[in-house]
Amino acid sequence: MARRTEPPDGGWGWVVVLSAFFQSALVFGVLRSFGVFFVEFVAAFGEQAARVSWIASIGIAVQQFGSPVGSALSTKFGPRPVVMTGGILAALGMLLASFATSLTHLYLSIGLLSGSGWALTFAPTLACLSCYFSRRRSLATGLALTGVGLSSFAFAPFFQWLLSHYAWRGSLLLVSALSLHLVACGALLRPPSLAEDPAVGGPRAQLTSLLHHGPFLRYTVALTLINTGYFIPYLHLVAHLQDLDWDPLPAAFLLSVAAISDLVGRVVSGWLGDAVPGPVTRLLMLWTTLTGVSLALFPVARAPTALVALAVAYGFTSGALAPLAFSVLPELVGTKRIYCGLGLLQMIESIGGLLGPPLSGYLRDVTGNYTASFVVAGAFLLSGSGILLTLPDFFSCFSTTTSRPQDLVTEAPDIKVSLPKEGLEED
Amino acid sequence: MRALPGLLAARAPTPRLLLLLQCLLATARPSSADGSAPEHSSMPVEKNITLERPSNVNLTCQFTTSGDLNAVNVTWKKDSEQLENNYLVSATGSTLYTQYRFTIINSKQMGSYSCFFREEKEQRGTFNFKVPELHGKNKPLISYVGDSTVLTCKCQNCFPLNWTWYSTNGSVKVPVGVQMNKYVINGTYANETKLKITQLLEEDGGSYWCHALFQVGESEEHIELVVLSYLVPLKPFLAIVAEVVLLVAAILLCEKYTQKEKKHSDEGKEFEQTEQLKSDDSNGIENNVPRHRKNESLGQ
Repeated sequence: MARRTEPPDGGWGWVVVLSAFFQSALVFGVLRSFGVFFVEFVAAFGEQAARVSWIASIGIAVQQFGSPVGSALSTKFGPRPVVMTGGILAALGMLLASFATSLTHLYLSIGLLSGSGWALTFAPTLACLSCYFSRRRSLATGLALTGVGLSSFAFAPFFQWLLSHYAWRGSLLLVSALSLHLVACGALLRPPSLAEDPAVGGPRAQLTSLLHHGPFLRYTVALTLINTGYFIPYLHLVAHLQDLDWDPLPAAFLLSVAAISDLVGRVVSGWLGDAVPGPVTRLLMLWTTLTGVSLALFPVARAPTALVALAVAYGFTSGALAPLAFSVLPELVGTKRIYCGLGLLQMIESIGGLLGPPLSGYLRDVTGNYTASFVVAGAFLLSGSGILLTLPDFFSCFSTTTSRPQDLVTEAPDIKVSLPKEGLEED
Repeated sequence: MRALPGLLAARAPTPRLLLLLQCLLATARPSSADGSAPEHSSMPVEKNITLERPSNVNLTCQFTTSGDLNAVNVTWKKDSEQLENNYLVSATGSTLYTQYRFTIINSKQMGSYSCFFREEKEQRGTFNFKVPELHGKNKPLISYVGDSTVLTCKCQNCFPLNWTWYSTNGSVKVPVGVQMNKYVINGTYANETKLKITQLLEEDGGSYWCHALFQVGESEEHIELVVLSYLVPLKPFLAIVAEVVLLVAAILLCEKYTQKEKKHSDEGKEFEQTEQLKSDDSNGIENNVPRHRKNESLGQ
């Protein structure tokens, strides 16, 4: 069996981090700041909030659902061509959207086309990053993901400025040109010169073992519920503020305030997750509960100061839960099933991301304001955090022995070679 | 506007001088009786009242002074002209009351009504009657050639009788609704109106006015429409695309360049290795010769 050479943990890897930084900015920053376009689409197409919300939710769902496809293609062809193709698809989707004459047109171009483009960029980049780093992998991933927070901060007012000069058609055209930079980021992804790392146990076997894993399934359900409520403010906050007679530019700035606190929340939570002993699940539940509460309080706040405070609270707590959601998974399923688990998790939780925003929009259409939408979103988050209580080791005082690598146990018929059996906690 | 306390303090022995303004409005039809909640304001000497329907109006001014009430001259004026009749003057203690009743039927009765109390200095209280104002967006509406757009005019709490749209060519206001591509759609509620323009052309851009007609006057709002051609965003778009292409080309070329350099250094290493092998071979051949001979001798 070929032994994998040690990943460089540096060198060109930092360029890959830079590329991943810009990619996460261009994918998730654009997605998050789409709330600014939401108001324009409602006015331009005269459609109801629920139907317009499908645009973003289809995009999010396709991006998450297609992540496994992206990783699979990149293992076959290497990350570079896949990410460059993804960038072209994403830009093409936005370009076609600028010519839209109906909402269905937008569903297909932004939702489907750009969404699949985004799916082909993000997952392969993370995989490529893991090839370049092993000791400092979490640091590299964390640095790369800060792109999301910074771009949401910058893009919301920037998009508003674009809208005031070019209206939504011209703005979509320019966002398309911006998304084309994903191709340049993809060009930076030089495949590392490492020997092939053979997958342990084959993907199909891993998949079936995961589907029978109780805690994993419960975790998936919890994250799906969380995902349903998670994206609501980024999509509907601007519209909610305009319902309260805010001007568009201050509303967009509130979104960027939330994005800054999201960034701070990520960093603090990452540090806290390492510093605090015990399973990370408890911290995740704390942040999820707080996010749910802050969401449910949004309709109650009327004064600008209260709204700003809630935006900061929501941003911080929702940013805090993001890195933890990723790091609970190795504790649950073990590192050898992490990629399969991640792909499956993203696929299932995308259902939440797909259904959440239109449900919120539907509630707004039925009730006339966003009160019910925000309260229901908070309820989803709280129920998700409740399910987190049922995960194993929630009430224990130390974390399970998981992240040690599994050595293969070989037994020949007549010669018994006993190797140290470490951490075999799953069947 | 405060009642000039400094000046009055210098003038009168007692500094207490209040100018009260009381305004009673009955917002009912001309035929029905008046009687509605009075609006008091003790400090301001000017009051703005928004009216959209004909009403019976009852204005009261209250003037308190320490001097002689009989020496105060009370008059009412509408805009600048003196009003002769219909007002009452009465006194209670040290306060002088004057009341002016009238009916607002149409726009001629709208305007500024003032009560004047003349002692040595003239004190004045003003009631401004205006039609409801339409709230407009300050930023222009942007659209593209060939696209369609909807201009909306909305009145917050009022219900106009009629809406009309005008567009301006230079300084001339031309009513809209005659051209082929412009349709006036009256909204579902009476307090809003929409103008839909399809197949936009560059000439369709400019200032648009929506007029709201009330029984007691007119109100208007200005909306700016800007029509851009597709070339406007296209130029920055193409510039950015060109920049991305250059960037990608630069990255890939840079990589090919560094790979070529690596290959050269690799080839250099191979060259050394082959040199070593050759020198080994030459030794090997010398060694092989005796074996060869041995084999031959064995073979025979």
